[in-house]
Amino acid sequence: MQEHYSQEIERLKTNLIKMASLVDDQAERVFNALETGDVELCRGVKPKDLEIDAYDNLITTQCENIFALFQPVAVDLRFVISSLMINNQLERCGDIAVNISQRVKKTSGFHSLIIESGILEMGQKARLMLKNSIDSFIQNNSKLAGEVILNDEEVDKLNKHCFNYLVFNMQADNSLIEPCTHLIVLTRHIERLADHATNIAESLVFYVEARLIAHQNKHPKLPEE
Amino acid sequence: MDIKLSIKNLDAYYGKNKVLNNISIDIPRNKVIAIIGPSGCGKSTFVRCLNRMHEVVGGTIKGSIELDGKEITNVDPVLIRKKMGMVFQKPNPFPSMSVFNNVASGLKLNGFGRKKDMAQVVEKCLKQAALWDEVKDHLNQGGMELSGGQQQRLCIARALAVNPEVLLMDEPASALDPISTTKIEDLIFDLKKNYTIIIVTHNMQQAARVSDYTAFFYVGDLIEYNETQKIFTIPDKKQTEDYVRGRFG
Repeated sequence: MQEHYSQEIERLKTNLIKMASLVDDQAERVFNALETGDVELCRGVKPKDLEIDAYDNLITTQCENIFALFQPVAVDLRFVISSLMINNQLERCGDIAVNISQRVKKTSGFHSLIIESGILEMGQKARLMLKNSIDSFIQNNSKLAGEVILNDEEVDKLNKHCFNYLVFNMQADNSLIEPCTHLIVLTRHIERLADHATNIAESLVFYVEARLIAHQNKHPKLPEE
Repeated sequence: MDIKLSIKNLDAYYGKNKVLNNISIDIPRNKVIAIIGPSGCGKSTFVRCLNRMHEVVGGTIKGSIELDGKEITNVDPVLIRKKMGMVFQKPNPFPSMSVFNNVASGLKLNGFGRKKDMAQVVEKCLKQAALWDEVKDHLNQGGMELSGGQQQRLCIARALAVNPEVLLMDEPASALDPISTTKIEDLIFDLKKNYTIIIVTHNMQQAARVSDYTAFFYVGDLIEYNETQKIFTIPDKKQTEDYVRGRFG
């Protein structure tokens, strides 16, 4: 029973790592496409997302089985809960990679605008946040997760800067309205990617340190009844 | 915290063999306390020390046990057992007695006289034990004719009849099927409004479900005692965590 239980937990972690690797590859691919303007790199991103979705279902089922059959407690319980949360965040990251690839295709002729607006810098930071959040999960490294969380504010600032720059360009030149609109949506996707990386990092801290750190200092703690 | 039982530096022995080492626990009033730990860790010995049954099997104790602030280690054990009812692993109704008399027996032994009042007390106890509806038309039936789960609730009713303050339960549901177990667990939840309950259990999920506080014993030592929610989420001691996770050994 004990060995069987350990194997189930191990299998769950292995599948989450496989799913995270797929998401990481997708992110790597779309950010390279954004950086180089090589839209060919976006080919295959959408079909690959189906595999990520399949992992989402597999991991949800595995977690359900572990809850039903083994009634985990303490650190095991936190691991399964955080696995469910991380699974959900990774699935959303996969979708965002697809969304980014679609916007990259539509804005490939406006590379100078991408560079001047600061989208590349924002993309690199969000990309690094996602990578570190995945690494923090693989290594059970709550210190690295803490760094990811701190970086989210920087991405939010860059998002505002990009938005202002793109709006200014739309006002100055009507012909840029369409590409700038695509780029604003693109920055929104990148900003959401950073948010999901933050959520993954918060789930990791919950697992390793048994601390809920999401939404802190935003609202007083609610009573249980 | 309103403390019902305060145990300080309790040692228990069988002959020269020390089976409990320096146990100190404060047990709050109207709460359920689960005692968990592997076989031979001293769980049952601990609860038997509380109602002085440890002495019946030739054991001895050192240390202090206070009930409502009064030392009970030097008081007549019969008086203590009136205040601390006990329910055992295997239901043990008196085999030759009816359902009614099983509950009434404790009252009779304690000199409770009037028959009409006795009927009221028996009904009240059977209701408290969530058994009344099932046996009200068969009160003269033999106690042994009930199902295992009903017999255990009958024993709980019998324990309640002498109006105890503390209920000690030594694996009360381990011999019962899941439905009877659920009934006993619901009953424990209801009874804690009026009684302080100490339950020994091997079933980790049961401890998590029914208790407010949990004490983990290992080889006669109290390893950790804390709120049940903490014990089953983030215990302070690694040994406790390994045990509740089922990875002990």
